[in-house]
Amino acid sequence: MTSWIEFGRGPLFRLCFALMVLGLLRILILTSLGIVEAYQRNPDKIVPWKEIRNKTLAWLLPIGRLWKQRPIYSLFSFLFHASMIVTPLFLASHILLWKNAVGFGWPSLPQELANWLTLLVIVTALGLFFGRVLDPRSRPVSRFQDYLWPLLIATPFVTGYIASNAVIGPRTYQQMMLVHIYAADLIMLMVPFTKIAHCVLMPLSQLVTAVAWKFPAQAGDRVIETLGFADRPTWMPKPRLAAEPAAAVPAKKEGAK
Amino acid sequence: MERVRRLKLILWTVVGLAAAVATARFLFGLGATTHLSDATPWGLWIGFDVMGGVALAAGGFIVTATVYIFKLERFHSIVRPAVLTAFLGYVAVVVGLLFDLGLPWNIWHMIIFWNPHSPLFEVGWCVMLYLTVLALEFFPVPAEDFSALARVRRFLVKLRIPLVVLGIALSTLHQSSLGSLFLIMPYRLHPLWYSPILPVLFFVSAVGLGLLVVIFESHFTAYLYRRKPETSLMGPLGAAAGWVLIIYLVLRFGDLAVRGQLHYLAGGGWLTRLFWVEIALLALIPLALLYAPQFRVQGAWQWAAAAIGVFGVVLNRVDVGGLADLSRGNRLYLPAWTEFAVTLGIVAAAMLVFLFMIEHFKIWEKRPADPDADPRKLPEFNQVGFTWLGTPAIAGRVKYSLAFVVAAAVGFSFLSNPRAASQGIVPTPVHRARGDVGYLKASPASILTPLWQQEGEKEGVLYLDADLTGYGVTFFHQREVDRNGGQKSCVLCHHMNMPRDKNSGCYECHRDMYLPSDAFRHDWHASPSGANLACVQCHAPGQTRSAANVKPCADCHKDLIPAGATIKIKTYSAPAYVDAMHQLCIGCHAKVAKQQNKPQVARCAECHRGKLDFSDAENLLYRRRALAGRGVVLPPEISK
Repeated sequence: MTSWIEFGRGPLFRLCFALMVLGLLRILILTSLGIVEAYQRNPDKIVPWKEIRNKTLAWLLPIGRLWKQRPIYSLFSFLFHASMIVTPLFLASHILLWKNAVGFGWPSLPQELANWLTLLVIVTALGLFFGRVLDPRSRPVSRFQDYLWPLLIATPFVTGYIASNAVIGPRTYQQMMLVHIYAADLIMLMVPFTKIAHCVLMPLSQLVTAVAWKFPAQAGDRVIETLGFADRPTWMPKPRLAAEPAAAVPAKKEGAK
Repeated sequence: MERVRRLKLILWTVVGLAAAVATARFLFGLGATTHLSDATPWGLWIGFDVMGGVALAAGGFIVTATVYIFKLERFHSIVRPAVLTAFLGYVAVVVGLLFDLGLPWNIWHMIIFWNPHSPLFEVGWCVMLYLTVLALEFFPVPAEDFSALARVRRFLVKLRIPLVVLGIALSTLHQSSLGSLFLIMPYRLHPLWYSPILPVLFFVSAVGLGLLVVIFESHFTAYLYRRKPETSLMGPLGAAAGWVLIIYLVLRFGDLAVRGQLHYLAGGGWLTRLFWVEIALLALIPLALLYAPQFRVQGAWQWAAAAIGVFGVVLNRVDVGGLADLSRGNRLYLPAWTEFAVTLGIVAAAMLVFLFMIEHFKIWEKRPADPDADPRKLPEFNQVGFTWLGTPAIAGRVKYSLAFVVAAAVGFSFLSNPRAASQGIVPTPVHRARGDVGYLKASPASILTPLWQQEGEKEGVLYLDADLTGYGVTFFHQREVDRNGGQKSCVLCHHMNMPRDKNSGCYECHRDMYLPSDAFRHDWHASPSGANLACVQCHAPGQTRSAANVKPCADCHKDLIPAGATIKIKTYSAPAYVDAMHQLCIGCHAKVAKQQNKPQVARCAECHRGKLDFSDAENLLYRRRALAGRGVVLPPEISK
């Protein structure tokens, strides 16, 4: 079991961590490129920047937005996110591991506070899970990964809490650490490929909605072409963008003549 | 386009792997990422990336000379790809060189601090100057697409002939000066490769290789983009390459004959076989293919001849660069996987840039069209989301980036942990001192060397070579005991005991020769098969478990520190074995030397008296005894 633990916190950890960091970077760049291209393609260059900024900032604190519809769920969601991010990043034991491996560390939370935050994560994760299961409004819009994630995220917190607080023998401790490490590795592996990618895409999400929901230039022409009506006379004015070369739509020119 | 896409996917994967290795190389250094050593300081990166890369870039100056100096205008269409290949080849050389330099950020020193006696100085200047010339030669091509650069472009086009002449001159200097580098080591390079005319040989083979590279590249891109192969254009180039290869063969064998080294050709041994393989790949097979009438008119055979010849010349550079190195002795240098990864990654990155340039700038008369980016193509709907947002400008980037990310992550996981964290010191576990009294008496005399049979007569002699190399210190244990006051003096040196042990050996805690080690064995205490302790039995409950808040060892181990011990323990970190021994011995010896006015007592040679030859059987015995002795040692009366 010791060698499995060593593998999980050695090569496998490096694989999953690198995949998470690079994968998130990749998806951020791809999304940004997509936004830029969608913007360039649109004839309509008006983007409501101020509204997007306000909306993005407002969604950072979901309590205000969702309070009227689902007060407890929104509160749980906020507490879950805050404590879930803070606790593992500023846990003294984790920082010690970093310091031993790469030579630098950063200030840590007091152990007492970290324990309470861990409990908070576990409670709110279970709350989010049951909130989704028990609320009939949630079920139709939920996918498998929506049910999976709260439980999966709670796993390393539960095992970590037991390992660091319960009075247990070395064998139980190692079992807890095994589950703790492999669950954390699995989470990191899945982050860039599932909805958890919102941890980096969140600042862009409002922009995507604002920019992408516009038809590309000459989309109407393409529809006409697809339907086979390209040679019919059209009463619509020509698109504002005449960037496309004339050779691109030969059928239309013949029709105009 | 699907051939190009598939190739790009592979290239991005290789680049991703190399990116991970590159991070480790620049963070942790050459020792952590290569198999290079003081005996083999130049490896794959120099042999392939630098020497092979320069040779591969020879096509640039050959083709520009053909077209602009000899005015053979029918070859005009291959000038741009050839110059681009040469430019990217030189960029790859520079990148490879930066990987191999120990202090790459000092590369600019060469510009300020001149050493005109060094061939490396000439090589470095040639690389810098020729790279600049190539950049200026190639710059007008991408500048065509930007109207803002029109004036610069016109100026550079006017400068073309001087640039071409300068390029030819610099290439001639540089190709040959790579050969001059090896003139300095006549006793290191095998006589089949070492020659006073090595610079000439390098230059001639580079000319042949330049032509072959142009042929290879033309056919390869024709295959990738499904263009019509330029077979009839490449025919004369192949014939010219054949002539150059014949001249090369004459020079090479003529040189061997003049130097009187022909007998090595039939000498046997793997270097002779390597020589014949190299000659066959470099000249014989390409010549056969380039001159046989039924082969030379076929594009596929031209391609094969060029590929084999290119491989042969690069093999020649790798041979001269290290493979045919006589002083390798018993230490075979085999490049680490990281070295291969970086080498392939640099080539892959250069190829990606080449493909990018071909697709986006006017390298060919007609840019290769991507059918998916054709505006007349009817829209295809995404079957999942039923949306269509047009073709992305960089087709396939989703797949390429995924390949890059996954390959980089796999690369990071393969970089082994001790390497990544090491500071260049290899762990050297120690073993117990040889020759305790009981052991010497009990051992069968057959496995003892004569020296120890003699020394065994005098009781209480220890030989301290904890890494079992034979280099160590003869330590007269009984004499020290007598001098320092008999049994009471044990605690002067034995300042800490293993549990239920007395006068534990130094090696029990000072467990590495040159690195500090942990005197406290946490793994044993927390193991179900060891002490089987729960965390809270040592660490205070509810707090972060670290060395800071832990029960002192003496709470359980009452007899850990013997009464009267003079060496005070402050941390759990035990100094390296060598440091511990030196600190312990030298202090006393220096004091005695001063007090009794005997300076020889404090000299190194007083204790270090050279090497003792131990038999393999004895080394093995100590190795086994030492490993079995890790853990808790029970005194004899308890174990019985």
